[in-house]
Amino acid sequence: MTTIEKAHLINEKYKAFNFIAEALEGGEGLLSGVAVSVKDNVCVNGMQSTAGSKILEGYIPPFDATVVAKCRAEGAGILGKTTQDEFGFGTFNVNTGYGVPLNPHDPERSTGGSSGGAAVVTAVADFPHLAIAESTGGSISCPASFCGVVGITPTYGRTSRWGLIDYANSLDKIGCMGKTVREAALLLTVISGPDKYDSTVLHEPTQDYTSYADGCAEGLKIGVPEEYFGEGVDTGVTEKVWTGIKTLESEGATVTEVSMPFTKHSLSSYYIIAMAEASTNLAKLCGLRYGLHMPLEGNFDEYFSEVRTLGFGEEAKRRIILGTFTRMAGYRDAYYLKALKVRTKVIEDFKRAFKHVDVLAAPTMPVVAPKFSEIAELEPIQHYMMDILTVAPNLAGVPMISVPCGEHLGMPVGLHLMTDHLEEGKLVKAASAVEGAR
Amino acid sequence: MKATIGLEIHVHLLTDSKLFCSCRTSLMGKEPNENTCPICLGFPGSKPKANKRAIDHGIVLAKALSCSLVPEIRFSRKNYFYPDMPKNFQITQYEVPLAMNGYVMLGNRKIRIRRVHLEEDPAKLIHVGGDITTARYNHIDYNRAGIPLVEIVTEPDLEDTKEARLFLEKLSVILDHLGVYDPTTEGAIRVDANVSIDGGQRVEVKNITGFRNVEKALNYEVVRQKSMANMGIDVSRETRHFDAESGTTSSLRKKETEDDYGYIIEPDLVKIKLHSEWVDKLTESMPELPDHRIERFIEQYSIGRFQAGIIVNTGLQLSLFYEECCNLYKDPKIVVNWIVTYLLKSLNYERLNIKESKVKPETFVELLKLIDEGVISERTAKELIKEYTVSGESPRKIVKEKNLSLMSEDELHKVVSEVIEENPKAVNDYQSGHVKAAEYLIGQVLRKTRARAAVDTVRKLITDMMESKPR
Repeated sequence: MTTIEKAHLINEKYKAFNFIAEALEGGEGLLSGVAVSVKDNVCVNGMQSTAGSKILEGYIPPFDATVVAKCRAEGAGILGKTTQDEFGFGTFNVNTGYGVPLNPHDPERSTGGSSGGAAVVTAVADFPHLAIAESTGGSISCPASFCGVVGITPTYGRTSRWGLIDYANSLDKIGCMGKTVREAALLLTVISGPDKYDSTVLHEPTQDYTSYADGCAEGLKIGVPEEYFGEGVDTGVTEKVWTGIKTLESEGATVTEVSMPFTKHSLSSYYIIAMAEASTNLAKLCGLRYGLHMPLEGNFDEYFSEVRTLGFGEEAKRRIILGTFTRMAGYRDAYYLKALKVRTKVIEDFKRAFKHVDVLAAPTMPVVAPKFSEIAELEPIQHYMMDILTVAPNLAGVPMISVPCGEHLGMPVGLHLMTDHLEEGKLVKAASAVEGAR
Repeated sequence: MKATIGLEIHVHLLTDSKLFCSCRTSLMGKEPNENTCPICLGFPGSKPKANKRAIDHGIVLAKALSCSLVPEIRFSRKNYFYPDMPKNFQITQYEVPLAMNGYVMLGNRKIRIRRVHLEEDPAKLIHVGGDITTARYNHIDYNRAGIPLVEIVTEPDLEDTKEARLFLEKLSVILDHLGVYDPTTEGAIRVDANVSIDGGQRVEVKNITGFRNVEKALNYEVVRQKSMANMGIDVSRETRHFDAESGTTSSLRKKETEDDYGYIIEPDLVKIKLHSEWVDKLTESMPELPDHRIERFIEQYSIGRFQAGIIVNTGLQLSLFYEECCNLYKDPKIVVNWIVTYLLKSLNYERLNIKESKVKPETFVELLKLIDEGVISERTAKELIKEYTVSGESPRKIVKEKNLSLMSEDELHKVVSEVIEENPKAVNDYQSGHVKAAEYLIGQVLRKTRARAAVDTVRKLITDMMESKPR
C-alpha cells in the first residue's frame, strides 16, 4: 500500500485530513523519504488551505509557507493538510468546518486541538512521518498530550510565520510533532531559522536540535511551579506528571519548587489579545478575493454579512464579537491595552523563574482527553479554562514540549516542559531523558 | 464670521516599491489589478514587510516640517469594512506616529502640524454608472493598494480658503524639494478638510484631489456654512463628499461620535527604532529647503525677494532651471526678469510646467544673448519666446529661418523715410512741439518692420530726420 493510500485509510477511520495529496513527491536531504503532514492553516502551494473553515473553501495559495519550503528543500514529500479547529479556535478540535477528528486511543474521545489532525496522523502512521503543527495558546501541546505524541512549540519567532493563516499574529508559532523526541527535534531543526518574508522572525541561526536528544538530564535544574498543580488538575494526571519529574531527577536533574504568581491572570490576558487580533485578521474574509463566494447581491455590507454568516462557525463568530468589543473606544484601555500590560508581567514571571532553573515542568493539560459527550456539556468559558496550563508559556513566547509520561484511565498523559527563549536544546535534552526512561 | 480649517493631507511617497511588498509603485501602462501580489491583496498566509525607503522619506519630511521624531515607530491596524481595502483594515500609524508637533511658516503666521505618519493606500474604486452615491456597481482596482502614503495633519490653524491654498502650495514645494513625491502623478496629493464657522460643528470634506479642487471645496463649504448660520440653521456634524465636476459638497453620513476604528498594534510588524545614526545621516544629506533657497537667491544673485519667491515657489525644477541659466549667462537679474515676466506667462498659457516643456537653459539664454548681440530686438524676443516655449527650438535657428534679425541701417533708413512721407500730420505735430507724436511714428516703423528694429535706433533715426526736414 502506498503512503497516500495509507493516509486515506487513516482519514476514513479518524477524519484526520482536510486534504490529501495525489502523490507523494520527495528528494534528497535530512527528510528524505519522510512524509510531512501540514496543519490546514499552513499554506502549501497548490493545495487547498482552509484553516479548517468553510469561509476559506476553495482557497488555493499560490505560495508555500516558509516551513513547507524548508521541508521540501530537505527532501520531504507533503502528504496533505490535517484537520484543526477553525482558525485554531478550540481546545478539543470540535469547532471545525469539515468534521471532527477522533482520538486513536478511544474514538469516543477528543484528539485535543487545535492541531488535532496532526496529532492523530503522528500517533497512527506506520510510515516515516512528521507533522507540522501550530500553536497560539497550546494547540500543539494539547493534542500531543491527548494523543500520546511529542509536540514542540518553539520560541515565538524561531520559525517563520510566512504562509501561516493567522489566528493571533503576536502569539502564533509554527511547531512540530513526532512519535519521538528525536524525530520532533529533527523537524524543528529543518523548519527553524531566519526568513526575509517574516519581520517578526528571530535572526539567530538554527541549531541541530537532534544532537541534544541524548537521554541525559545531568546538571539540569528543574522548576516545578506550584500554580500549575492547583484546583481543576486531575489527581491521576498530577501523579503521572510527578512520575515524569522523578524520572528527570533519577537521570541527574535537580528539582525545586518555583512560584509564578501571574499565572492566574494569563488566561484572561491571552484570550483578550488573541481575540482582538483574530477579529481583525478575519475581517479580510468577505467573499471578494478568495475562499467562499456567493452570487453578488445587495450592497457590499449586505453581501459580506451574508458570506460571513454562512462561512464562519459559531466559535469564530463568538471570537469576532468578543475581540471587536475588547478593542472598541471606551473598552480598549480596560481590556486590550491592559491585557498587553499583563502580558509583560507574565513574561517577567518566566524570566524570573529562569534565573534559577533551566526547565519548568508541569502537566500539559489538567485532564486526559475528554469524551465528546462530556465536551457537549461544557460552556464556552469552560472550554477556555482547559487552556489554563498552556496559555502562560504561549503568552510569554517561551518554547515548550509535551512529552508522554504515562497513562491515566487508559489515556495518555503529557508532561509539559518549558525553557527560556531560544533554549530549545535544553527542552529536547530534558524531554529525551523522560522518554528514554519510559 | 471666521472660518476654522484643518487639513489632513495624504501624499503618495516616491518609492520604487509599495509600503509592505515588492510590487512596483509605477502604474504606467498597467492593466487593472496587474500590479498586485499576495501581500497587497491580503491573501491568507501573507505577511507585510516595511519598506525602509518610505520611512526614510517620512523622516526627511518630518524634519523639514520641524516635527519631533518619535524614538521608535510602530504600525497599527485601522479596522473598518470597505471594498477598497484588501484586508478590511488599513495598516497605518496610530498610537505611535512617525513624528509630531511641527509647523510651517506662512509669512509671519505659524501653521502647526499635529502629526506625520505613514500608511498604505487603499485600492481605487471606479463607480460605474454614477458617482459614489448613485453608481449601480463598482470596479475595484488594487494596483494602487499598498502604495506608501504620508499623512500630514495640521492643527485647525488655517483661517480662510486662501490661507489653506497658500499652505498647500508651500507644502508641495517642500515635498518637491525633498524629492519625496512626484507632483505630476494623478492623485499624488489627496486632502480631507475639516471646516467650521465661528466655533460651530465641524464638517469633514473627504477625498479632494488637487489644489484647485481643495480651494473650490473649501470655498463652497465656507459659503454653505455661513449662509446656514445666517439663516439661523445649525450646521450639523457630518462627513461630506466633494464633487469636482459641480464644485459642490454633499452629505455622505451624519457623525454623532468619533469614528471607532478599534485600533490594535499591527502584530506582523516589529518596532522600528529611529536610531540617531540613521536620522543624522538623512538629515545631513537633506536637500536645501525652499525658504533657505529664497534667501540664498536674494544674496547670491542680488535679485528681489518677490522674484526669488516666485522662482522657488513655482517648484524645484524652475529653481534648478534658473540656477543653470545663471551659470550660462552673465546677469542673473536679467534672467529672473525674463523668466518671471515672459517665460512663466508663456508656459502658463500653454498649460505646461518647466519640466514637461522643451525649454532648456542652453537655448533659453541664447535668446537673451541674441538681444545683447544686437541680432534681435527685445520686442522680437518677447514674441519669439511664445514659439520657443512650445517647440524648444534654438532661438538662433528660429531667427535665421524666419528672418527676424534686425534690419540693416540702409533698409531701416528706407522704412523710416516711407513712414515720414506717409504721415505728414504726425510730422507736422512733432515739428510744432508735440514731441509725443514721435512715439506714433516709431510704432508705425516697428509695425512695418515686424519689430526687426531696435526702438532706440528707430527713435534716433526719426528725430534726426524730422529735425533736418524742412517745414
